[in-house]
Amino acid sequence: MITADRKPFEEIKESVKDYKKIMVLGCETCVAICQAGGEKEAEILASELRLAFGNEGNKVEVNDELVVRQCDDEFMADPAFLEKVKEADVILSIACGVGVQHACKFFNRVITDKPIRVIPGLNTTFMGANIDVGLWEERCLGCGDCVLEKTGGICPIARCAKSLLNGPCGGSSDGKCEINKELDCAWNLIIERLEVLGDLERIKPVEMYKDWRSSYSGGPRKRVREDLRL
Amino acid sequence: MEDYEPRVVAMLCNYCAYSAADLAGVGRIQYPTNIRIVHYLCTGKVEIVHILKAFEAGADAIFVGG
Repeated sequence: MITADRKPFEEIKESVKDYKKIMVLGCETCVAICQAGGEKEAEILASELRLAFGNEGNKVEVNDELVVRQCDDEFMADPAFLEKVKEADVILSIACGVGVQHACKFFNRVITDKPIRVIPGLNTTFMGANIDVGLWEERCLGCGDCVLEKTGGICPIARCAKSLLNGPCGGSSDGKCEINKELDCAWNLIIERLEVLGDLERIKPVEMYKDWRSSYSGGPRKRVREDLRL
Repeated sequence: MEDYEPRVVAMLCNYCAYSAADLAGVGRIQYPTNIRIVHYLCTGKVEIVHILKAFEAGADAIFVGG
């Protein structure tokens, strides 16, 4: 899933201080699972803003709303919901960066008589897995050319600090990475896994350079499925 | 400030703190009127937003008994 952290409260408050009617918009998918931008978090942030502005004698209306996914038109197309969006001075989206941008584009496409301002309440962090209660770790960089079949299901692109295709490097020590002794060396994990699988032969050939054009290095990407297009 | 009476919202667990308050009532023991009790089946269910909304509604302090 995509993980995120809420921005510091003072930063959020500063970003919405000029508006009188604020809608905190939660997203019920990735950021709800990582407990940064779901229903509870939207309610809490709205309440905190009401209290903070109220204590300063600043009369501000703060409401909270929730959609299933802010990165998908169909979950935001409800006319009653769009009416509330239109009434707000600002939409404080606590979705990931994708959701914030998509909600902004969608609202401004379907609401034509008023520009809709959408600002973020979260810092989007990474694509990761829920490793343990309250713990998420990065697992994929979305490079567009998966190598997991060669590396025992452990990604050297996302989990090696140098994204090495041939490892480990000289900085690997006792199974840990030189950049942080808490961080497992991905190549150490890969070799251990391949030994267990009896697949160590797979990494003997030297991997040549990776074609990074399928990654973000080739610029923002687009995926088209012609068979699904209308 | 001497007359100040904080409005306290007490969030009490059914099985301990609420039972204790109940027992106090049966024993005719008075407790201050500025306490408002919210009865929870378990205070593990107290959500952050319940506390925030109590403050929004004018509470000066929250007492969680569980």
